[in-house]
Amino acid sequence: MGKPEVKGTVTSLSSMFPPEEVQKAAKMVEGKLSEKQNEMNQLKEFIADNASLINLVQKLPDELHHDIMVPFGKAAFFPGRLIHTNEFLVLLGESYYADRTAKQTVEILKRRGKSLVSKVDALKAGIQDLKAEASFFDSTASEVAEDLVEIREYEEDNSTERASQSGPVELESPSVAEADNKVSSSEDDEYARLMSRLEELEKEELAAEDDGENDEDEDANANAAETETETDGDEDELTEAAFHRKKDEGYSSLDHGQRSLESQPRKQLQQSKGKDPMNEEMPTKYNHQGLTNQLACTGLTAEPVTKGEISHSRIIHQDTKMLNPPVNASVRSEKARSKQNVHDSSRNEKPVQTPKSEFDSSKAFTGSIIEHTENLEKKLPEQKTTSSQSSDSKPSKPVSRFKMQRK
Amino acid sequence: MSSSSTALRELQRDLENKANDLSKLQKDIAKNHQVRKKYTIQLGENELVLKELDLLNEDANVYKLIGPVLVKQDLAEANANVRKRIEYISAELKRLDGSLQDLEEKQHSKREAILKVQQRIQSHQAGKAKA
Repeated sequence: MGKPEVKGTVTSLSSMFPPEEVQKAAKMVEGKLSEKQNEMNQLKEFIADNASLINLVQKLPDELHHDIMVPFGKAAFFPGRLIHTNEFLVLLGESYYADRTAKQTVEILKRRGKSLVSKVDALKAGIQDLKAEASFFDSTASEVAEDLVEIREYEEDNSTERASQSGPVELESPSVAEADNKVSSSEDDEYARLMSRLEELEKEELAAEDDGENDEDEDANANAAETETETDGDEDELTEAAFHRKKDEGYSSLDHGQRSLESQPRKQLQQSKGKDPMNEEMPTKYNHQGLTNQLACTGLTAEPVTKGEISHSRIIHQDTKMLNPPVNASVRSEKARSKQNVHDSSRNEKPVQTPKSEFDSSKAFTGSIIEHTENLEKKLPEQKTTSSQSSDSKPSKPVSRFKMQRK
Repeated sequence: MSSSSTALRELQRDLENKANDLSKLQKDIAKNHQVRKKYTIQLGENELVLKELDLLNEDANVYKLIGPVLVKQDLAEANANVRKRIEYISAELKRLDGSLQDLEEKQHSKREAILKVQQRIQSHQAGKAKA
């Protein structure tokens, strides 16, 4: 295995996601969300009306005729009788009416009710998506306000590339534009799967938490983890080969869109800063890494799942943030953050292995993995705060400069 | 200098025209969307009616509301009418789809043209500034 080159870039979040645009996007999403809410309310009213009508239709034939007050014009009534109580002229739609009995009418109404309910369900799903989008935009806006910086590191290796994260920086997978479109439809499902996988991995990682620090970015694993196919105990793989294997598995199972994404991050990873990729490193680290990577991978994959929405990818990225093990001061700058471009969203995070082993011995770095796992536990819902969490989790480790830098 | 400024003005006028065209195109596209929505809803409703008509007995009374008049219709006749209407609506939808594609392409090309004009303006202004 040749020495992987590590390159990195540092970009300020605000340059990638201009705050005004983020706010505009957030407002648009809010508008759409309120529209859908209105529709939903209307449909619910319809359903209620339908139910009461069914009741009435069922009660009417109980009597041969009913004595009622008949409305006459706009503001008058006169006493009258309702006869032929079992005959109903039912509107079928498009100005077509049919004579039906009470029972048949009730059946028609019930069918209508069913279609209404299915419409409501569809709307609900749409609302959920919009909400996720909105939360993503909000988190983006807050991040931009905090002047977070994205650090991206790439390790070029023969076989694998991984993106490492910096602790304070959010982890975002490199976004690939093209992937978004392709992935959108299948992403939702994948997303759910990834999320569940992520949870599993987190648990496992917790279990293996005592491994100690490695600054490995789980991102690498994230990619592998992304594919739900990684059901095997990937976490247990300690060897690099295993690690790579996992990644490959992950990639293979990834959606083609994601694959294209993967290729992109590779290119982006080109900028290694001179950190030697630790691919061959310590097996112990791997164990930890594997877990975290997987976690990261799942998180990352989830990103592509979202329809190109930054929100999702962001969320996932944040989860994967935990993966950054800051190796040392120099490494810190190199921390690669796989971040999804707002525009592109979906992307795989290439797990980038930060050259841990070399630095480990010579420098002190905070074992971020453990920290991250804690973050992971919080999972997606907290993606927004993962960054803060990662900093919070640091206390257990030797204070890293990142921690200091982070607010 | 004057020649460049007149050229600049021309370019700007060109840009305005193109921008107007683009906004017109966008309005057309929006209208297209609206009409499409309406047709889609009608199509759904007609399909529902067809389903209900199929569930009716042969001798059931079917009426059609024409203005203020409720006219008795034959079940077979009503079925045929509803089916014809469904076909008509689907054909309209397809036609609208085609024109929508068209409009979008035009819009796209207009945007590009606008970009080009803008670039030319910029280069003009840069040239002017240097001079």
